[in-house]
Amino acid sequence: MGGPDFGALGEEAELVEVEPEAKQEILENKDVVVQHVHFEGLGRTKDDIIMYEISDVFKAKNLIDVMRKSHEAREKLLRLGIFRHVDVLIDTCQGDDALPNGLDVTFEVTELRRLTGSYNTMVGNNEGSMVLGLKFPNLFGRAEKVTFQFSYGTKETSYGLSFFKPQPGNFERNFSVNLYKVTGQFPWSSLRETDRGISTEFNFPIWKTNHTLKWEGVWRELGCLARTASFSVREESGHSLKSSLSHAMVIDSRNSSILPRRGALLKINQELAGYTGGDVSFLKEDFEFQLNKQLIWDSVFSASLWGGMLVPIGEKPSSIADRFYLGGPTSVRGFSMYSIGPQSEGDYLGGEAYWAGGLHLYTPLPFRPGRGGFGDLFRTHFFLNAGNLCNLNYGYVMVFSLEQESDFYNTETFLHHFMKPCSVIEIKTIMYLNVV
Amino acid sequence: MSLVAEAFVTQLAEEQILLSDNASSLAVQAFLQMCNLPVRVVCRANAEYMSPSGKVPFIHVGNQVVSELGPIVQFVKAKGHSLSDGLDEVQKAEMKAYMELVNNMLLTAELYLQWCDDVTVEEITHPRYGSPYPWPLNRILSYQKQWEVRRKMKAIGWAGKTLEQVLEDVDQCCQALSQRLGTQPYFFNKQPTELDALVFGHLFTILTTQLTTDELSEKVKNYSNLTAFCRRIEQQYFEGHDKDSSTTVAARSAKRSLLR
Repeated sequence: MGGPDFGALGEEAELVEVEPEAKQEILENKDVVVQHVHFEGLGRTKDDIIMYEISDVFKAKNLIDVMRKSHEAREKLLRLGIFRHVDVLIDTCQGDDALPNGLDVTFEVTELRRLTGSYNTMVGNNEGSMVLGLKFPNLFGRAEKVTFQFSYGTKETSYGLSFFKPQPGNFERNFSVNLYKVTGQFPWSSLRETDRGISTEFNFPIWKTNHTLKWEGVWRELGCLARTASFSVREESGHSLKSSLSHAMVIDSRNSSILPRRGALLKINQELAGYTGGDVSFLKEDFEFQLNKQLIWDSVFSASLWGGMLVPIGEKPSSIADRFYLGGPTSVRGFSMYSIGPQSEGDYLGGEAYWAGGLHLYTPLPFRPGRGGFGDLFRTHFFLNAGNLCNLNYGYVMVFSLEQESDFYNTETFLHHFMKPCSVIEIKTIMYLNVV
Repeated sequence: MSLVAEAFVTQLAEEQILLSDNASSLAVQAFLQMCNLPVRVVCRANAEYMSPSGKVPFIHVGNQVVSELGPIVQFVKAKGHSLSDGLDEVQKAEMKAYMELVNNMLLTAELYLQWCDDVTVEEITHPRYGSPYPWPLNRILSYQKQWEVRRKMKAIGWAGKTLEQVLEDVDQCCQALSQRLGTQPYFFNKQPTELDALVFGHLFTILTTQLTTDELSEKVKNYSNLTAFCRRIEQQYFEGHDKDSSTTVAARSAKRSLLR
């Protein structure tokens, strides 16, 4: 709900005796000055963060501008996540200091309660669990948020606590601190993993890109899921501590993140572990690129490419918990979930380097049944997927460490070892009609 | 039928292994040597977590993994090697009884000393147990293990015992073993059995491991036939064998020489 209350303006127009034919002129051409902005319904929210969000409203020059800027301010206030409702009232100014073209804008807000909770029960995959969520929005008055989630299941228990604080005036710049314990079961590798960790992250935009800087410390416990796990997986059981710094950059110009029609997405992610403690040391890079273009007849053509590489630093080989996995309906179709690449006795071990790509064509259903209504929710999806996952055999490059970087400026030798063929290559191309 | 390929006994690395685990590992090694089966000893920091039962040592043969002496004896028997075939029913029952005695007394005393005696815990156990891991993981894992062992001690009623009482129990156990051994070379006269391997594992480790006090090894030294027994088995099965296992045994005995 938004926009000004035309009823009030209409009444005022009559009182100041303006001819009806000139009403059109008032609405579009008349210069106005926003004299006051009122807020009703503020409780614990502090004034300074509100000021930033509505500062633009004062700069409006004519009525349409005021309406537009008020609407934008309303959107900004809602995105803070501290109000349940925001209503905007635009009225002419009353009082002694009122100018003839002065306006008052009033924001009527309802703050969220101090504590909101949710309770869900989930059943699936031989496991039932109870999920309890607690949220404290706007904890100290400046849009800080604390959330707590607790999941108690028949097999595993996990929980997470997170604190989020945006910078007043710059909501896209924020930081959050998370504490969590997460357990996962990975039947494709016969592996069970329990992660207990703490992470802090900073998000900030630079021009059109969004950056995230994160430090994460995780205590990982790996175990076998079944007695029949392969020995390679059994060898990875035990505890390790990963302390890593990571940076992610996202440029997203798509019109929607689900079934986009146009625009492109580029995500680049890098992670360096081992230099802030812990016993796991590696450098990990990965990227995702997606391009969408609208074609004739309501179809959308989409191309995507992913790739990544994991370089262990030091003599220890990479851990199964850090490697990449590929396969399944979200990446390379035609393979079971994460079942591409190096394996041992049926357990997939993941790989240190991968690439995957896809070409997609989304069209409306053939003969367009249910057009204009239900049929518009369905699309036909043609796709072509390919991918590869392997381990990199470095040879002498195995003792790679940042201190010895000078050795690798002999590019020729480096490339020769780097491009050594992977021991197992699995490429599968499928193309079939899929009604999405 | 011989075992396929080599079995390797996985145990914790030299600087990390504790008294009780060392004793169990040595018992398994002795047993396999007595059966004339080739053994390769591999040390891994995460051996405890690799083991299907959570205890070291375990053997990896082909694609099977078997942990702890009891199941290993069964497994080896299923493959056609057994040391106790020559015993009659009465003797087998007696052997089982003595093995239970060693497990309940000696092993538990070793665990008590390692995890419930504060001095030993601080000076030896915590640094050793957490050595492969970075801070703070080393402290977390040590405390977790200590809490677990103490809970087990409480369950079997040993939590209330003092160190003197535990040493008394060890003394009684050694007395029983010494009496049973008498002047024989092995517990069941001519041939070694799994009981000999188990007793050797524990006694040799107690005699050769340096702890904060010498009291434990002194209790064993009181019985000369037990020390002679350990020396005999060491000479017969561990010296003059290939480099791997003898180096491991020799490295351990470097801490305190048995053959003095």
